[in-house]
Amino acid sequence: MHSAAGGAGRTRPADVRLSKFSPLPRVLYFDDFDEGMNGWCELVGNHTGNLDQIRPIAKDFRPPQLSSCTFFDIGTHGSVDGTYALKLATRPQANHSAVAIKRMTYAARGLVQFEAYLTFKSEPVMAGDRGWDGNQAPSERLFGEFTLSNDICVGETGPRCHGVIRYRNTDADGSLVQRWIRPTSVEPTTKMDRLGLVKGGARQDFFSLRPEDWVAVRGGRQPLCFNETASKVNWHYVRWLFDTSRLRSLEFQCNDMRLDLRDVIVPTYQEPYRGIANLLNLYVAVRTHANVRNFLYLDSVLVSVDW
Amino acid sequence: MLRRSFTAVLEKGSTFDGDFATEPYEAGWALEARWFVNVLRADDGLELSFVPQVSPDGSRWCDSGEEAMRLCGAGLASLPMRNFGSWLRLDARMVGTPGSATLIIYLALKG
Repeated sequence: MHSAAGGAGRTRPADVRLSKFSPLPRVLYFDDFDEGMNGWCELVGNHTGNLDQIRPIAKDFRPPQLSSCTFFDIGTHGSVDGTYALKLATRPQANHSAVAIKRMTYAARGLVQFEAYLTFKSEPVMAGDRGWDGNQAPSERLFGEFTLSNDICVGETGPRCHGVIRYRNTDADGSLVQRWIRPTSVEPTTKMDRLGLVKGGARQDFFSLRPEDWVAVRGGRQPLCFNETASKVNWHYVRWLFDTSRLRSLEFQCNDMRLDLRDVIVPTYQEPYRGIANLLNLYVAVRTHANVRNFLYLDSVLVSVDW
Repeated sequence: MLRRSFTAVLEKGSTFDGDFATEPYEAGWALEARWFVNVLRADDGLELSFVPQVSPDGSRWCDSGEEAMRLCGAGLASLPMRNFGSWLRLDARMVGTPGSATLIIYLALKG
């Protein structure tokens, strides 16, 4: 199992922004969103120049925003060590998703580690005070889920796969789930959609063939810190280690919870792929289950490798 | 350090047959903004009026004071903004003969 290569003992004063991460030996990129978007952009479905060709679920993943985390009641909250965070925002429409992507290719196969400080919120709305005890927030039940995914293609023709982990805060009925889950089928492609292989109708899921193709990660129940009110932002540390040599995830950490993923099968496409040689993409996504905007905020991202 | 710039596509070939507003977009980091509306198709006689709006919190909106941008038929038009708050959106109103229009809406930011 990976042990932190860059602990506090190695931190030099010039590295103070890095001291909250534990990178592998080579930092591939460090994205502090006080500096700009850093190449995170809206994911869009395939087309040949005609926007009508884009399958509906992949046509409206929304442009990411540089957010100062400003709210109607307190004004600007700010990010961990600056003003801005990368914000993904859904529409106020049940089952709508916002997805941002950063596109790279790999120079060698091996370990890749994604680290981030992130948080999630539903938009402040007049949710009513039914059942409010003064502490727990009704708006917590208006946040659906957020997802982290990679997209890897080995060499010129694959295999290609997506390692995916999702925090399901609530189910479609708004009941708290608060659990990390993973898909059991591949992420549908445009070609699969055109062949009619993607199911789910109004509950279609961008990351799995069928909405029900998800299982709990063992040991993955974890209430996160929503903190009672929609305008209180508490940041969470996540670290996800995966291996492009074995096409497996190895470990996922969120705060003090660590999940061993080494034995989890990553769904892999059965057919060869062309045009995406050595692909190494990362996505972040948020989906609402209610007619309320859901937000995912990232203060900063660090991706490191052992090559 | 070079200035930052970012172009957000707020509507991507969407078709509307009534008034609408674009999704809220945070732009507190930017010093200037320019809306671009590309009308890909519009029914004859339909006139589109786009009013830039600002918000302190992303939920309550008022007109920014700039003059509305009016479009008839296909084509590209733009509207600059300065001295805005943290959130921007376009409020689109359909006037003239009822009908539908297909649009791409861009927000180009610099700061």
